[in-house]
Amino acid sequence: MRIESKVERQAPFSLQVEGETLRAYPGETIATVLVERSPVIGHMANGDAQGLFCNMGTCCLCMVTILPEGRRVRACLTAAEPGMEIGLG
Amino acid sequence: MAERYDLAIVGGGPAGQAAALALQGHGLAVAVIDEQPHPGGQILRQPPREFGVTGWMGGKVYAALRRQLGQFEALSGLDWLGGRSVLGLSRSSDASFVLTLSGRSGVETLRARRVLLATGCQDLAVPLPGWTLPGVYAAGGIQAFVKSQQIVPGKRIVLAGTHPLQLLIADQIVAAGASVSAVMFAQSRQAMARLLAESPLVAARQASALLPAGAAMARLRRRGVPVRFGESLLGIVGGERVEGVRSSAGETACDAVGLCYGFVPQSALPRMAGAGMRAAGPAGGWAAECDAWQRTSVAGLYAAGETTGVAGAAAAQCAGRIAGAGIALDLGLLAPGAAERRVAGVRRAHAKHLKFAALLDRIADPTGHFPVMAPSTIVCRCEAVRLADLVSCLDGRSANAVKLASRCGMGPCQGRNCEPTLLRLLGDRADPGFSARFPARPVMLGDLAAPE
Amino acid sequence: MRKADVLIVGGGLVGCATAWHLARGGAQVTLLEAGDIGMGASGQNAGSLHFQLERRFLENGEALAEQAARTAALSRLAIDDWRGLEAELGADLHVVMDGGLMVAETAEQVGVLERKIARENAEGLATRLLDGDEARAIAPYLSAGILAAGFSGDEGHADARAVTRAFAEAAAHAGAILRMRSPVTSARRLDRGFEIACADETLQGDRLVIACGAWTAQICARLNLHMPLFPVALLMNATERTAKGLRHLVQHVGRRLSMKQTHAGNILIGGGWPARLAQAPDGTFDPRRRPEMIAASLAGNMRAAIDTAPFVAKLNLIRSWTGVTAISADQLPIVGEVPSMPGCWVAGGGSAFTLGPTFARLMAQAMGGRAAPELDIVSPARFEHLNSFMG
Ligand SMILES: Cc1cc2nc3c(=O)[nH]c(=O)nc-3n(C[C@H](O)[C@H](O)[C@H](O)COP(=O)(O)OP(=O)(O)OC[C@H]3O[C@@H](n4cnc5c(N)ncnc54)[C@H](O)[C@@H]3O)c2cc1C
Ligand SMILES: Cc1cc2nc3c(=O)[nH]c(=O)nc-3n(C[C@H](O)[C@H](O)[C@H](O)COP(=O)(O)OP(=O)(O)OC[C@H]3O[C@@H](n4cnc5c(N)ncnc54)[C@H](O)[C@@H]3O)c2cc1C
Ligand code: FES
Repeated sequence: MRIESKVERQAPFSLQVEGETLRAYPGETIATVLVERSPVIGHMANGDAQGLFCNMGTCCLCMVTILPEGRRVRACLTAAEPGMEIGLG
Repeated sequence: MAERYDLAIVGGGPAGQAAALALQGHGLAVAVIDEQPHPGGQILRQPPREFGVTGWMGGKVYAALRRQLGQFEALSGLDWLGGRSVLGLSRSSDASFVLTLSGRSGVETLRARRVLLATGCQDLAVPLPGWTLPGVYAAGGIQAFVKSQQIVPGKRIVLAGTHPLQLLIADQIVAAGASVSAVMFAQSRQAMARLLAESPLVAARQASALLPAGAAMARLRRRGVPVRFGESLLGIVGGERVEGVRSSAGETACDAVGLCYGFVPQSALPRMAGAGMRAAGPAGGWAAECDAWQRTSVAGLYAAGETTGVAGAAAAQCAGRIAGAGIALDLGLLAPGAAERRVAGVRRAHAKHLKFAALLDRIADPTGHFPVMAPSTIVCRCEAVRLADLVSCLDGRSANAVKLASRCGMGPCQGRNCEPTLLRLLGDRADPGFSARFPARPVMLGDLAAPE
Repeated sequence: MRKADVLIVGGGLVGCATAWHLARGGAQVTLLEAGDIGMGASGQNAGSLHFQLERRFLENGEALAEQAARTAALSRLAIDDWRGLEAELGADLHVVMDGGLMVAETAEQVGVLERKIARENAEGLATRLLDGDEARAIAPYLSAGILAAGFSGDEGHADARAVTRAFAEAAAHAGAILRMRSPVTSARRLDRGFEIACADETLQGDRLVIACGAWTAQICARLNLHMPLFPVALLMNATERTAKGLRHLVQHVGRRLSMKQTHAGNILIGGGWPARLAQAPDGTFDPRRRPEMIAASLAGNMRAAIDTAPFVAKLNLIRSWTGVTAISADQLPIVGEVPSMPGCWVAGGGSAFTLGPTFARLMAQAMGGRAAPELDIVSPARFEHLNSFMG
């Protein structure tokens, strides 16, 4: 849930997560965009659904793939960018 | 970014900022590295520059920290290297340190004659049935969403644990317009009150530090948020995501949970460097050992703030100042007497804050309140290692040997989350835990490879 | 005082496997391990099962290559040992023997491969040369820059985390006594047999097996023996898990590289890049302390991996570690009874993950009275001259 009161954001842009088009605001991290979409951001080693946890870069549970480049980053430390394509899992 | 610095400070929180400010005017080439884009540390995780947030972190409690942050951001002649994670540090042949940094654009290395580790702490991860369901967060992680990203990761949130910080977090969530279904303290209210009463002087002297929690509690009560004591978490329930929690008092519906059982120092870097460590506190973890000038046992390597033990932002600030003076002393920029005079007042304040931190440690002590794990409870999330997978390894083996046998701690987080739990299960006070290994954060192979 | 038929010093793969074979054969065996089982080289290694001649034997002259080729007989036995090991131990060791490729990127390297394969074939090892396209046909992840590969259908890998422990459990099951956290502090020869001691116990045995990896020379010194085994520190790296992609063991004939994917999905990358051994205050090497990583090794190892299998470039490295193993004066393993000290057996050096199960089996066989001529080429006898003044 984006906080509306006392927060001004710039014009949103769109990006793709697993092929789904999502809206994001400049300054948001990929983790924010994902959490706004669903707490489920991938799968654990045992196949169960996975969420992110620490939101500060230490738990490494939020790894996502930036496509088409293929770089894998921590979503909670990486800013969302217009036109970005993100792969989960 | 230059290739060589006199000093590299890892961490731009209260401790790192204070050290940089203390060294201002000495003409040193200083770099401050942080994996967050902006300085502030965990307590003042700043909103993105693209946001306009009115009255951000406006409370009186934060005033001193905000002032310091403003001074730090105004410092000239300092290289702020935000958005970069320090992966490791090693010694080069000329006795300076080589730090490996990774950021969005790849890996860089820098050399520094001295290094100050001010890497702060992280939430203690506490396994319990259902805790891997999406929607369960470290309480500090929820708070960072609220104060920095300006979102609330849920509509009805439960905070549970033993640490009073969860009152402030609940208060911030409610102020942001979301709803908190309950704040659950595993310990009884009487037990907390008793500890306060046992240290009336410390408590009274630090009333200002206790007040925010009290005020937050009053506000939560006014808004009808249940704050309950003596209520232990039994499990978190849901299908593919959190739908509620089961506690000793029954079920509470919610769509997100913040676990707040305390904090452990971020110890990867000092351990990797071979610095002397000690058991950190009741929540577990390892703290870098320091002398009176914040020197670690490794020559040229300093540590300040919560890397050396979780004691709050005010103590971190003091330690940062002391480290700054210590570094100036060791570099011959200050005479011993002058250095000591400079920090005399700071040392007194530091001691006072540490006393309060010790009291807070006792109040927030999670020992005895950890939720009961089921055999199927996952201890190591990276590798999905269950308690049942560990039991057969708990035969006197070292943590490293258990890791090798079970994969517990073998994933991308390098055991940061599961190590305290495993050491609790091992119950061996002499076990130094997992060997800290490069890289402190995952890094793309292509970024590390030698040029073609 | 406790007595045993055989005392074993060292609870790595070699010690534990030897204990198992001996105990199975009815011997009373006591093994002493300084730390936990399998936490030395046996728990730190790459888990490669490599049967092609190693690169290190090919770049130091013809004589060494020739000598090393004669260990092929041991490799042939090791192939059979590994194929049967999971069934024999009743344990899942993640043994994968789907083949291994030793790649070449330059014409010169292709030449080395050709000569290597000729040698191996002469010694009865069924390796063959694939051209770049043939190699890519079975290993599509290989770079376009790969010109040729030596292929052995038996190579592969196993889970180093599991193997030593499985041997230890089997040994204990067969009646061997395994003592952990019991560093041996003294060892001496008696009129008949040997006596060793750790902090709280002194033990006697008819035979002594010294299988303590990088520490072998230290224990030998207690017995007034020179054993030319030296500690070396090596770098290993693991990537995050990734969908299955790399089926084979991949090595390089001209660069330091070994690469494989574990059953969990991590890709392990090593190949003999050095790390820096820790030093004790007196200036001697201290294999017990963690060796220091060398940045150039890491960068070089990553580059070799990427040049060979480009897809790994995008994966995250999650851990680098350093391990200590032993290398002998002539690079070949030293395994067998010390001629000047009957009853004292030594096993150290070499790629003793691959060959360790075989060394152990053959030593036990020889102690049981059945000759094991395959060990002749690695016998400590070749270094007896060093002990001719040791009295
Ligand atoms: C999530 C969280 C929320 C918190 N919220 C509060 C609160 O609201 N109120 C309160 O009183 N206390 C809070 N605390 C405790 C608080 O962190 C400290 O009291 C205070 O911030 C400590 O200051 P510090 O300078 O020691 O470390 P920090 O402020 O934590 O600063 C350390 C900095 O180091 C950086 N860092 C760490 N490792 C690396 C690395 N390898 N590479 C690059 N950068 C690195 C981090 O990104 C961080 O910015 C919180 C703690 C956490 C973990
Ligand atoms: C990084 C690395 C990668 C490698 N990769 C491969 C590979 O892919 N394939 C391959 O075939 N080989 C590989 N090797 C080599 C292989 O790991 C070793 O040859 C093999 O594990 C040796 O087994 P060991 O039992 O002789 O020695 P170790 O496993 O080292 O065991 C020796 C044991 O003796 C104990 N000890 C020492 N001193 C004492 C004492 N005083 N008292 C009691 N106990 C003592 C130690 O604690 C240790 O546990 C690698 C080695 C390293 C380091
Ligand atoms: S959520 Fe923990 S690292 Fe991103």
